[in-house]
Amino acid sequence: MTPAPAYTFEWAAVWRGLPYLLQGAGLTIVISAVAMALAAALGLAVRSAVDAYVELFRNTPLLIQIFIVYFGLPQLGVRLSPFLSGLSALVLYAAAYNAEIFRAGLEAVPRGQHEAAQSCGLSPAQALRFVIVPQALRIAFPALGNNLVSLVKNSSLVSTIGMVELMFVANDISFNNFRTFEIYGTTAVLYVMLVLALTRVLHAAEMRMARVAS
Amino acid sequence: MSVLWPSLPYLLRGAASTVVLALAVLAVGSALGLALGLLRVVPWRVAAGAVGWAVEVVRAVPLLLLLFFVFFGLPALGVRIPTFPAAVLAMSLWMAANTAEVVRGGVQSIPRGQYEAARSLGLGWLRTLRFVILPQAMRRMLPPFVGLCTILVKDTSLAAIIGVFELTRAAQETIERTLRSFEIYGAAAVIYFALCFPLTRLAARLELRLGRP
Repeated sequence: MTPAPAYTFEWAAVWRGLPYLLQGAGLTIVISAVAMALAAALGLAVRSAVDAYVELFRNTPLLIQIFIVYFGLPQLGVRLSPFLSGLSALVLYAAAYNAEIFRAGLEAVPRGQHEAAQSCGLSPAQALRFVIVPQALRIAFPALGNNLVSLVKNSSLVSTIGMVELMFVANDISFNNFRTFEIYGTTAVLYVMLVLALTRVLHAAEMRMARVAS
Repeated sequence: MSVLWPSLPYLLRGAASTVVLALAVLAVGSALGLALGLLRVVPWRVAAGAVGWAVEVVRAVPLLLLLFFVFFGLPALGVRIPTFPAAVLAMSLWMAANTAEVVRGGVQSIPRGQYEAARSLGLGWLRTLRFVILPQAMRRMLPPFVGLCTILVKDTSLAAIIGVFELTRAAQETIERTLRSFEIYGAAAVIYFALCFPLTRLAARLELRLGRP
């Protein structure tokens, strides 16, 4: 039996390749560092952009936001119908509040829930999907409901740019027949019925959630 | 942008009126709201129930409708109110209803044991409220009340619709002259932000500081 031909090492190849390898290693470091720096900057930018959006829309009047969308944007070449202007302003305004509500809800879920989910072998994404978010939503539900009620009332502001809704119709009728007291009174009753029905439904849903949870 | 600088003094005058309007509503509305809120927690069922309903109804109506009701609706009954007092009246009703809710929430968040302890010390309900419950409830009422003030400053913009001179009205008048709605409304938004953002921060801070017992 002849032994298999032994492999002969040739370390000179390393010596020849070394400068190239080191160059590669250098680039690994460079690309990682640059990616990390840019990712940190981008992450910070996204984070600050979200913060800025939330603060900007929560700290300026909805009426001004509606006017900027409807009267201001056409100046930049963006012309939206009263309906789309009103809708987008209401969405942007309510979403800023919702973002804050979701943040508070997520923060209110106890740390132990994260740790418990992790120790059950759930990945961070699974933990968020199956453990944290359901609880955060339940915590956020009452505040989201309040925001919905505010939205119903705030939607009256889009009447100012000519979108036809309850408030607009009330103005339309009362400026024609001058029965302002009766028309606005009836409109108030309609809003009260709408809002009270909504709060009752939300309250019932909240109670039901609490029962299911316990 | 060049229209912005010449218009700025006028906008700032509007902003000053916004502050005056907000302060007037704050004074009238929160005093009335405090009284109503306390009426909701006195052991006098009829008053508490009536106030509760009134508060719920006012809170369910959009502020814009309250404003129109006072300014356009009341003259039908012969009660004619000029724009500024009409705005103060309508917004004070709104502010009072919301303040009452904040007061009720604060008072009801105080544990029953505090009432029982005060009672067992021989305090009547008025003195219990004055010396035991309110001092503790104030701490809990402050953050939502400051939040309410932020909403008030923003909602004074609605007064422009019935013709009260304040920041939004000043912006509208400036735009009628300059036709630059994007810049002028943008500038108004920035001024509103400068008024509201410190209040929002203050509310968040108070919540952190006073939230824990």
